[in-house]
Amino acid sequence: MPKRKLDPLPSAAFQILLSLADEDLHGYGIMRKVEGQTNGRMRLGPGTLYSSIQALLANGLIEELIRSKSARGGDERRRFYRITSAGRKLARSEAERMADLLRVARARKILGGEYV
Amino acid sequence: MSERIYSCFLRLYPASFRQAYGDAAMELFRERLRDERGFWPRLQLWLDLLFDLVLSVPETRRCSRRTLVHGSAQKLCGVPSFYVLEDDPLRPSAILFGGILALAGLSGLSVLIGRTGVYRPLLAGTRSAIASRRLNSFLTVPPLLGSGDDPDQALMGGVPEEPKPRSKPQLVEAVFMVASAKAKLDAAERDRVVEAAATNLKEHYFDRGAAQRMAEALLSHERNGDYNTTTDGPAFADLLTKQIRELSQDLHLMVVWSAEPFPAGPPAPPPGAIERYHEALRQNNCTFEKVEILPHNIGYLKLNSFPDPSVCRSTAVAAMAKLNGADAIIFDLRDNGGGYPDMVSVIAAYLFNRSVAWYDPRNNAAEPTLTQSPVPGSRLADKPVYVLTSAETISGAEQFCYNLKMLKRATLIGETTHGSAHIGTFFRLDDHFGMGIPETKPVNPYGRPDWEGTGVEPDVKVSAADALETAEKLAQSKTPR
Repeated sequence: MPKRKLDPLPSAAFQILLSLADEDLHGYGIMRKVEGQTNGRMRLGPGTLYSSIQALLANGLIEELIRSKSARGGDERRRFYRITSAGRKLARSEAERMADLLRVARARKILGGEYV
Repeated sequence: MSERIYSCFLRLYPASFRQAYGDAAMELFRERLRDERGFWPRLQLWLDLLFDLVLSVPETRRCSRRTLVHGSAQKLCGVPSFYVLEDDPLRPSAILFGGILALAGLSGLSVLIGRTGVYRPLLAGTRSAIASRRLNSFLTVPPLLGSGDDPDQALMGGVPEEPKPRSKPQLVEAVFMVASAKAKLDAAERDRVVEAAATNLKEHYFDRGAAQRMAEALLSHERNGDYNTTTDGPAFADLLTKQIRELSQDLHLMVVWSAEPFPAGPPAPPPGAIERYHEALRQNNCTFEKVEILPHNIGYLKLNSFPDPSVCRSTAVAAMAKLNGADAIIFDLRDNGGGYPDMVSVIAAYLFNRSVAWYDPRNNAAEPTLTQSPVPGSRLADKPVYVLTSAETISGAEQFCYNLKMLKRATLIGETTHGSAHIGTFFRLDDHFGMGIPETKPVNPYGRPDWEGTGVEPDVKVSAADALETAEKLAQSKTPR
């Protein structure tokens, strides 16, 4: 169980949770996916990435899987990460919180576009 | 090679982190190396890694320490380390610019380091510069180096009895130039200098009581062996200066040291020195640095000395003519080191519609100095006047401030001025030592001490840097819209 509530969820942790929402990924995969989903704005370095993963693991928001490198085959094994139900729940509540912020911003004409 | 470098970087992380994620981090690095090829992607990769290192190493180390103390707290670690590079990626042009800037900085530093060997900022410390500047403040009244009965004596100020060469700052620099080489003193020279200083003080200083006290103090120090450890010429001169000033509170008393021997007879100006001084004045617009009309029709004159009127009168007249239509006038004397009392009077004359007594501490004559007012055509006699001052407003500039303040003709804005008023005469003590002694104390018609030693207090105290802005605001409030 999480020892500490991540509220608000740090940006990197939220991005990692989002990257794992639809597939399990290893460290490099997470880094690339985060880079993609932020249009290249966020490139997690190894230190930041693994210290974030360490925290998410410790809080039970993701879990670690050991499996073979599927793409390359062979015996080489590496660590993959999967989002847990607690992680998914936290990511959803974070997304809702941000959606609320977005609604306010649009209502105040700070941001254009449709209400979400 | 790259992997080796990154493995070295990884050693910066705490052992527990390396154990858990070292291999994974290295693997991630290898994959980025494989995928990010070419100069710019590689540069980007290394910049990412460096930023990542800077941000995550302290955090993981902090967590590691906390783990050691609290045991189970390890699970909380890492949470605050969500520092990421969220900004836009660096553009190649930005990286190039940064590279060029760093290279320029490095080159500049190399040049500076290379120059340290030849850099002698103010020769023997600041002593020569200070001594020269201080002496300059004596030298506002010609002649500089006239002759007297005493061959060891040269006038440094006072009233000329016959036409003599005019004083020149450059000349003073030449006479008192102190070489960087240190002179070693022996006991005999120290004794000689102290005894000559004591004798000259008693004979020439205008306050006989103070002269006696100073002479006794110097001789007493000498007898007690207080000077035995001082073997450096400039340092010895400074020490003696400090001691006699402490007793007299007179900044015009000084002992100076020169690497070049002082001439035994009355020194003559080096050939061409006067011409060079005049030429320097002409090239610098006679130190009239700025003559402008500021917004709201406020005249502004930045004047950095009161130069020799025999050369600069026409420049002064032209400057004052340019300001003649102003509704108020600001004299900026913050960098004014003094000059010729005659020039002080020339400029002051524009500010009065009648002749007024003008205190000149260099004037020992029975008759007071009078301004040559009114100046025909001057429309400045009834305009508000502001004078900007600083601690570097010295001597003749202080005379200008002091008189205008006492006559309630100007508002002084800035800092208390330097505090140099009186004249002095130079006496040779031996080959390398001389001293300046004021021989007279002028009578102040305002019946109070002048600015000697204390400076002129401004009416509006602000830092010198803020003085102009303050003056402009004050002037605007008094000028017609």
